[in-house]
Amino acid sequence: MISATYTWAQFIPEFTLVGLATVILMADCFLPKIPKSFYAIFGAVGAIATAFCMGGDAELSRFRVLAVIATALAVLLAYDYRKVTREAISGSESEEGTSELYALPLIACAGICALTQAKDIIMLFVSLEVVTLSSYVLAGYFRRNQGSIEAGVKYLILGAMSTGLLVFGAAWYYGMSGTFMLDSSVVYKVLYHADYSLRIGFMMSMALLLAGAFFKTGTAPMHIWIPDVYQGAPTPVSAFLAVASKTAGFAVLCMLLAPFVGNQLVSIVECFVILTAITLIIGNLGAIGQTNAKRLLGYSSIAQAGFIMVFLINDVGEAAQAQVANYLTAYLLATMAAFYAIAMVRTQRGHEEISAFRALGKTNPVLAFLITVCFASLAGVPLTYGFIVKFDSFCALINAYGIAELNCWFTTLLFIMILGATVGFYYYFKVIREMYWEKQQPEDKPLNVPMVTAGVMTACVILIVALGTWPLLTGNL
Amino acid sequence: MTSLAHYLILSGILFSIGLAGVLIRKNIIVVFMCLEMMLSAANISLVAFSRAQGTEGVPVYDPQVLSLFVVAVAAAEVAIGLALIVAMFRARKSVESTAITTLKD
Repeated sequence: MISATYTWAQFIPEFTLVGLATVILMADCFLPKIPKSFYAIFGAVGAIATAFCMGGDAELSRFRVLAVIATALAVLLAYDYRKVTREAISGSESEEGTSELYALPLIACAGICALTQAKDIIMLFVSLEVVTLSSYVLAGYFRRNQGSIEAGVKYLILGAMSTGLLVFGAAWYYGMSGTFMLDSSVVYKVLYHADYSLRIGFMMSMALLLAGAFFKTGTAPMHIWIPDVYQGAPTPVSAFLAVASKTAGFAVLCMLLAPFVGNQLVSIVECFVILTAITLIIGNLGAIGQTNAKRLLGYSSIAQAGFIMVFLINDVGEAAQAQVANYLTAYLLATMAAFYAIAMVRTQRGHEEISAFRALGKTNPVLAFLITVCFASLAGVPLTYGFIVKFDSFCALINAYGIAELNCWFTTLLFIMILGATVGFYYYFKVIREMYWEKQQPEDKPLNVPMVTAGVMTACVILIVALGTWPLLTGNL
Repeated sequence: MTSLAHYLILSGILFSIGLAGVLIRKNIIVVFMCLEMMLSAANISLVAFSRAQGTEGVPVYDPQVLSLFVVAVAAAEVAIGLALIVAMFRARKSVESTAITTLKD
């Protein structure tokens, strides 16, 4: 019985987040005197407090904490982005109709939290849809802006398609196994004791369910929405989708694959190797020619998803889940800081092309240094956390079978990973080159760094460097 | 006598038509209808499996609960989707997928 699987108490963080969002929406209606941007601070502080109070007993609790922190940072980013929001929503200085941008991420985040605690497919589906439906609204939030509407429509169509695949997969999962529970005993029963046709139907259902998860993580072939939506959506929303939504996707992947641990009968390793390789190729090669910083981060997020997939290729046990969470932490720190930088540049220089970063090294040396560390971490430069986790990803592949027994699948993937990491240096350093090597033009005024952005970026950079050097000092890679 | 297989074949055909429509059609409203068809196809499978797993004519209710959730989610999706399509029509004066060309490589 599904109702006996869950207790009310375990969903307290979710209720808190939904409560926060409700308070914001109600206050928006009934207390018009309060400035709307105050809700951003309120929501972000509430979400961070929730993250600190969350218990860590659930298996995927680190994913949950990451998602809540990412949401809090995205909402906080919306605070510094409020000038652009006001112009896009009302075309004037009026703040009318901007408070949903602060409330909806919290609701989506409640969905992600519920998702990490799901033990059956019904819970998984409903909480995943809470995330997805809020994200559609958020992506198309600037409804007078062509790019945002287009991002919303594209996200809606591709997202609804992945929902369709997921539900169809869920139906067949039930039909073949007789239960919605995601449990290794269910998988064992179907794979070892059933006749061949049941097994085929079950694997088909798993393929469809995985397709639904791949949509969230941005793994090929479900990655097509990422660059367009990241570029078109409001920057805080792009940041939310890039980090929180991706965390949700990897939580689903871990959940779906964990029951297969130790089942040698059905090998999906080759399939995963191929998908990972394609994801790495598309993400890294696609990023090379980009001139828009948000689109660049979109392709970067596909490439990073490829590196995370490597952990899941062989065995999705506790260890692999911890490694995925580590990688996501590094990705969160660097990507969030990068989105803060993009939002600030957009607010003050008016566009999001990489050329908007021009000559920041001269005008704002400290800021330029912070941005450099973020992109260096994304590229995987030593002494940053990004290097440690990327190194981990290579080790995971080699440790899976031992270097001597690497078969042709694994060698090819290893080669593609090395290629991807190398190409990464080129496109991440485009931003850095723009800041230090380009000549200052008369219109390049020094940026006025808002306090929130300065605080968050400094904190992210300190964490990136601290986590990146600590293992080297202790010799504990 | 219709067996489980009949329902599954019907749902499979509906699902395929929906998926093909999403991939082929240009009009976004038609694409949207095809998306709803995919969800309905999944619902047919769910209800069919719910009866097939049951004993002595009493179905198992878990899949039917999921199908109710799917209906609710589909309704929410229609509300959001139509709002986005209306906004898009206002911005572009068109609901063809060929008209959305702002974001591309």
